[in-house]
Amino acid sequence: MSLLEEISASLQKGDDNEVAELTKRAIAESIDPKEILDDGLVGGMDIIGKKFRNHEIFLPDVLLAARAMYAGMDLLKPLFLKDGMPHIGKIVIGTVQGDLHDIGKNLVGIMLRGAGFEIIDLGKDVPPEDFVDTAEREGADVIGMSTLLTTTTPMMTRVIEILKERGLEEKISTIVGGAPVSVELAQEIGASSYGYDAANAVEKVRELTA
Amino acid sequence: MNGLLEFELKDIMPSREDVLLNQGMPVGVEVPEKIESLLGEAMRRFEESVAPVGVIRELTAEEFDPIFEGEGENSDDALLAGIYPNADNLALFAVTMGREVSREIEELFNTNDFASGSMLDATASIAADKASEVMDALFLEDLSTRALATPGHFVFGYSPGYCGWHITAQRKLFDFLDPGTINITLNQSCLMTPLKSISGLLVSGMGDIHLFEPVFGYCRSCMSHTCQERFRKISSPKPSTA
Repeated sequence: MSLLEEISASLQKGDDNEVAELTKRAIAESIDPKEILDDGLVGGMDIIGKKFRNHEIFLPDVLLAARAMYAGMDLLKPLFLKDGMPHIGKIVIGTVQGDLHDIGKNLVGIMLRGAGFEIIDLGKDVPPEDFVDTAEREGADVIGMSTLLTTTTPMMTRVIEILKERGLEEKISTIVGGAPVSVELAQEIGASSYGYDAANAVEKVRELTA
Repeated sequence: MNGLLEFELKDIMPSREDVLLNQGMPVGVEVPEKIESLLGEAMRRFEESVAPVGVIRELTAEEFDPIFEGEGENSDDALLAGIYPNADNLALFAVTMGREVSREIEELFNTNDFASGSMLDATASIAADKASEVMDALFLEDLSTRALATPGHFVFGYSPGYCGWHITAQRKLFDFLDPGTINITLNQSCLMTPLKSISGLLVSGMGDIHLFEPVFGYCRSCMSHTCQERFRKISSPKPSTA
């Protein structure tokens, strides 16, 4: 097993200490940091995502793997200081204004990061303007919005309206998700896409950024 | 029944199985050692940091009318509109698990320890729900003592933000109940701090007032199915409190 495969395997076991040790070794052996990231950490997280989607593993397994992924990423970050961490797209995510439930949103963020996206997580109870302001300022590709409450879905509509008002709807896509959200609602409010769970959200964001 | 209520840890402590189920792990599934360890750690942290307390204040349907109306944002078919006018007794309530446990959850997420954060979050969420159920039971017990409830009466809680009752109703609910006495505050979006807090209306009445056809627009996308559990309790032959 190569060192990068070992990193991937340790990440899948959720062993953050081992991932950190192996990442240090890979850096010391002058392996290209992007290779460590893509083939070790993101590669491992990709397998975790597939297993989760296929119900072979459970949420805590994914979260342990995510902790291990961050243990490795923290060591790689300084090596990407000049250009920042490489990514395949920039996504702004948050739980909409009026809602503090963020477990689902956090999981989506973890899975997207694990898939190689850069995530700007605005947290919870995020006003519509903040989503758009941040996405515009950061040059994001997609805005991801989550909610658990039935009464806060109009906030998602408002974000889409603001994008249109500013003529950004072609440039910045939107994806919505959360318990009261459905594909029908997503279409009704004019969202670009709908993710029914975290793994599905990753697939949909890949489609939006392809 | 009015005033502050303290909860005993044993009454609100979630079971191991409930927490795992919340994390998507069905009963009977083999739990890896690492996850078992996460669970044990979350329960230990919870026991050390939780400070469960509640507040309750009875009110009449007339007093509740403007609170329910809130800021006029409710759905036309808000569930509670058809329930509370038929109630025998009503009370506003709020319960919280305290600031420390919410602070710990946030800190775990902020330091990327999602696995521990999620497990502690699940533990605290279930405990808050259990505290709310204890509140239901205490209110029913108190009403029974005062001969205001008979076997066949049920008390259930309904919260702003759910089933068409708009979250902005929290403002008037807080004005009347004043949960600041137990350190729960409301932010500009009408959300509570600490996070692991529940507020709402306790409705006491015969079982049938709580029954409804879950065919509203918001029912289609609801994933909690709390109403189904309540219907089962009402239809069970043994009288139940919540």
